[in-house]
Amino acid sequence: MKTIIEPFRIKSVEPIRMTTREQREAILQEAGYNLFLVHAEDVIIDLLTDSGTGAMSSEQWAGIMRGDESYAGAVSFYRFQDRIQELTGFTHILPTHQGRASERILFELTGGPGKVIPNNAHFDTTRANIEHSGARAVDLPIAEAADPACRHPFKGNMNVAALEQLIADVGREHIPLVMVTITNNSGGGQPVSLENLRAVRAVCDRHQLPFFLDACRFAENAFLIKRREPGQAGRPVREIVREIFSLADGATISAKKDGLANNGGLLLLRDEALLYRASNLLILTEGFVTYGGLAGRDLEAIARGFEEVVEEDYLSYRIRSVEYVGEGLCAAGIPIMQPPGGHAIYIDAAAFCPHIPRGQFPGQAIVCGLYREGGVRTVEIGSVMFGQGAHLELVRLAMPRRVYTQSHMDYVVEVCAGLYDRRDELRGLRIVHEPPVLRHFTARFEELPVPV
Amino acid sequence: MQRRSWAEPFKIKVVEHLRMTTRAERERAIAGAGFNTFLLKSEDVYIDLLTDSGTSAMSDRQWAGMMLGDEAYAGSANFYHLESAVREYYGYKHVIPTHQGRGAEHILSRLCIKGGDVVPGNMYFTTTRAHQELAGGQFADVIADVAHDPGADHPFKGNVDLDKLARLIEQVGPSRIPYISLHATVNMAGGQPISMANAREVSALCRKHGIRVFLDATRAVENCYFIKEREPGYAHKSLAEILRELCSCTDGCTMSGKKDCLVNIGGFLALNDDDLADAARNMVVLFEGLHTYGGLAGRDMEAMAIGITESVQYEHMHARIGQVQYLGEILEREGVPIVRPVGGHGIFLDALGFLPHIPRDQYPAQALTAALYVDSGVRAMERGAVSAGRDHGTGETHFPRLELVRLTIPRRVYTQAHMDVTAESVVGLREQRNRIVGLKFTYEPKHLRFFQARFEPVEGSQVLCDPGPA
Repeated sequence: MKTIIEPFRIKSVEPIRMTTREQREAILQEAGYNLFLVHAEDVIIDLLTDSGTGAMSSEQWAGIMRGDESYAGAVSFYRFQDRIQELTGFTHILPTHQGRASERILFELTGGPGKVIPNNAHFDTTRANIEHSGARAVDLPIAEAADPACRHPFKGNMNVAALEQLIADVGREHIPLVMVTITNNSGGGQPVSLENLRAVRAVCDRHQLPFFLDACRFAENAFLIKRREPGQAGRPVREIVREIFSLADGATISAKKDGLANNGGLLLLRDEALLYRASNLLILTEGFVTYGGLAGRDLEAIARGFEEVVEEDYLSYRIRSVEYVGEGLCAAGIPIMQPPGGHAIYIDAAAFCPHIPRGQFPGQAIVCGLYREGGVRTVEIGSVMFGQGAHLELVRLAMPRRVYTQSHMDYVVEVCAGLYDRRDELRGLRIVHEPPVLRHFTARFEELPVPV
Repeated sequence: MQRRSWAEPFKIKVVEHLRMTTRAERERAIAGAGFNTFLLKSEDVYIDLLTDSGTSAMSDRQWAGMMLGDEAYAGSANFYHLESAVREYYGYKHVIPTHQGRGAEHILSRLCIKGGDVVPGNMYFTTTRAHQELAGGQFADVIADVAHDPGADHPFKGNVDLDKLARLIEQVGPSRIPYISLHATVNMAGGQPISMANAREVSALCRKHGIRVFLDATRAVENCYFIKEREPGYAHKSLAEILRELCSCTDGCTMSGKKDCLVNIGGFLALNDDDLADAARNMVVLFEGLHTYGGLAGRDMEAMAIGITESVQYEHMHARIGQVQYLGEILEREGVPIVRPVGGHGIFLDALGFLPHIPRDQYPAQALTAALYVDSGVRAMERGAVSAGRDHGTGETHFPRLELVRLTIPRRVYTQAHMDVTAESVVGLREQRNRIVGLKFTYEPKHLRFFQARFEPVEGSQVLCDPGPA
C-alpha cells in the first residue's frame, strides 16, 4: 500500500504562523545563522528534532489529568514502573527528567580519566557527558555506515571486530562498559540487527564487560528488525523489544522519543551496587527515586506512551511516513542517506553542495537554505555538531511523531527540491562565536561570499 | 470571637478522590513501610503533608497554559513568557530554566565554587549543602542564634547574624567566599523569614568585599508577605514591589518553582552577570536541556510563568499563610509544643516537648510521625536525628538541637476541614502520648538515610498502642 493512513484522528490542533522570505532572512541574521536560536513561532515546519515534539494521545492527556503529584510513593510512579518492567523486563528503574540526565548519572559513576567507552556511534549529549567525566568516547560503526548511498539494512551495527581490537589495545580494565545506540542517530537513524546485538553481548560476556543500550528509539529499531532481519517477520514487536532489553545490563532512555512524551527519561540497571550509587546521585541532582525530577503526570504520560509505541499499526505508519519523504526527495534527485531510517531523513550534504568545502559547513548552509526557502527548520549533523570527529556531513529532517500530515511532508519535499535546483547559490559559513562544549546549540555564524 | 474568618480567594474546579482507610489498614501499611512515611504509597495516605514541594493545585489559567505548551526544542514561546515573568517580578536580567530547583543549585555550585571555598548561608538545606560539598566547598552557618531556639518569638528568625558573617569573611578572606546563599524563608528553621533590613545589610557587607549574594528564592514571596505584615514601612507596599526590592539586594537566585510558583515541576536560575549567565547556559545544555527549555516541557514553563503572576497576589498569599497560621493557632491553643512563631509553609511539632518519655536514641520525631499516620492517615515528615544522619568522621549519630515533625501544607489543596482533622489528630495524640512507642533501625542506608530507612518499635509491634486497662 502506498497511501499512509494514520491510525488516529486529530483531537487538538496548534496554529502555524506563516512568515515571508524577507522576514525569514532578517530572522536568520538575527539568530547568527543558527536555527537553534530561532524562536519556534518563526518556524513553519519544525523538523529540528523528534525529541519531545510528539503529539500525545487523548489517553495520554487523560493520564496528565490523573497525575498523582505526591512527593513519595505516587500512584503514577507505580503505574510507570509496572509498565516499564513489563516492556523491558528490567526491575531496577529510575526515572529522570530527560535522557541526558540518565547519561550524566551513568557516566559520572562509571566514566573518569583514563576510561574508554565504545559505542556504534555516540550521540552529541552522550559524547559530551562522557568527555565531561574525563573519559574518551570511541565510535565503532561498521564500514558500510561511511557510505551514504550504500543500502545495507542494518547500517547502525557495531563493528564487532573493531570492538575486540579496542579491548585488546586499551585493556578491558579501562572499559567500564560497552554501549550501543538504537537506532543509531548520528549515523542516520539506522537500525542495529538482533544478530549484531547478540554478537556484542557475546564479546562483552567473553571479557566480562557490562553491555548498555542507549535505547531512545528501541521500538523503531525493533520494527525495522521485524521488517528487515531474516527470521524475524513473524514475531510480535513486543517480543523483539523484550529480547533486545534482555541482552543488556542496563540502558539509558529518553522518553521524549519512543515514550511519545514531551519530557522524561529512564535509567535501567541490573547491578545492585550501581543502582545504590545511582539512586544517591539521582536524589541529589534530579529528585527522589519515585519521581526523578518529573511531575507525576509525566510518569503517567510516559507509561501510556510506552504502551502505544509498540502497537504495530502505529509503527508501520511511523516508518512508512519517514520513507514517504525519502521517496519524494530521491525522486527530486536529492542525495540522501540510504535506506531511510526510523525517525528522520538525512540529506548527504557533501553530495548536495560539493562546491562548499567541509571547513565551511555544507550541512549548515543547507539548513539555512531550507529555512530561508520555506521556513523549514532542520539540523546539521556533521562538522558543526561533532567538529573534527564528524564521519559524515548530514542534514537531518527529524519527524516529530503524529504531528505533521502528508500535506506538510509534500510541502517539505517541494522546499527541498526548490533549494536543490538552486544549490549553486548556497554559501558556506564561518563560526564567529563558539562556546566550549556542545557548540552547535549556541554558536553564531557568518555567511561567506558566494564562491566564484 | 476575636478571630475574623477568611475564605480562599478561589473555588474548586477539579477534585482528586481520596481513599479512606481503616486503622487496621494503616497499621499494616506503616509496618510494611518500615515505620517510614517516605515509603508509604500515596494511595494509602489521607492527608498528605509530607511536603509543599510540587504538590500544589494549579489554577484553571495554569491548566489552560498547559494546553498552550509549545514543545519546540528551541525557542519555545513559553520560554519567552517565563523569561518576561521572571524579569518583571524578580527583576533579574538572565533567566535559565531548569527541571527543578536542585538543577539550578547544581549549576550554580559547579560554576562558582572551587575546592577549599567556604559558602556561608542562613542555615543549611539538605540538597543545597550537598551540592556545595560536591563542588568542593564547605558550608558555614551564619544564621542568628535565635533560629535554633524553638520557643523564642522573633519576627525575623531567619536573619543572618552580620557579626558572624563579618568574622567569617575576616577569618577565611573574601577570595575564598564565592557567594553567600541567602534563604528566604529558611526551611530548616521552620519557614522563618528574613527582614528587608537584614537583606540590605548582608548585601552592603558582601558588596564591600566583592562577594556575590545569591538568593534561594524558593519561598521568597512568602517571605515578602511576612515583611509586609511585620516590618515597619512595608504595610502599604504590594508583594510585587517588596519582591523586586528583596531581589535587588542580590545578584541572582536559584528557584524551585514547585513552591511559590504553584507548579508541580520546574525551576530556574536567574543571574545579573552576563559572563556568568553565558557559562551557565553552556552548562545547562549538558545537564538539563537547551537553555530555552532546561529540561522542562513547554507547557510546564507556561504554567510556571502564570503561577508567578498568581503567587504575588496578596489575597492568595493571605489565604496561603492564613491557613498555616490557622492550624498553628489551634495547636498552640491546645498546648501542643510547636516551633514559634509559625512560619510560611508548615507547622513544626517539637517532638522532644511532645514525647518526653521517649529517649532521643529511640527517635521521638520518627515515632510521632508514624503514630500520626496510624491515628488519622496524615502523612508528615521527620526533621530530627534521622534526617541529620551520622557524623562522617566518628560514625556517631548526630542529635541536632531541633527534633521536629514537619506538617507541610500544600498550596490550594486542602480545606479548613482537612486542617481540623489534622489538628484533632495531633491534639488527640498529645493526650495519649504515653501510648506512642520509640523506634529502632532495622535498615539504615549510608547516605540520606531518612528517605529509605526502615524501623521497628523498641517493644511490641505497634508504634501507637491500644489503650490498656484503666
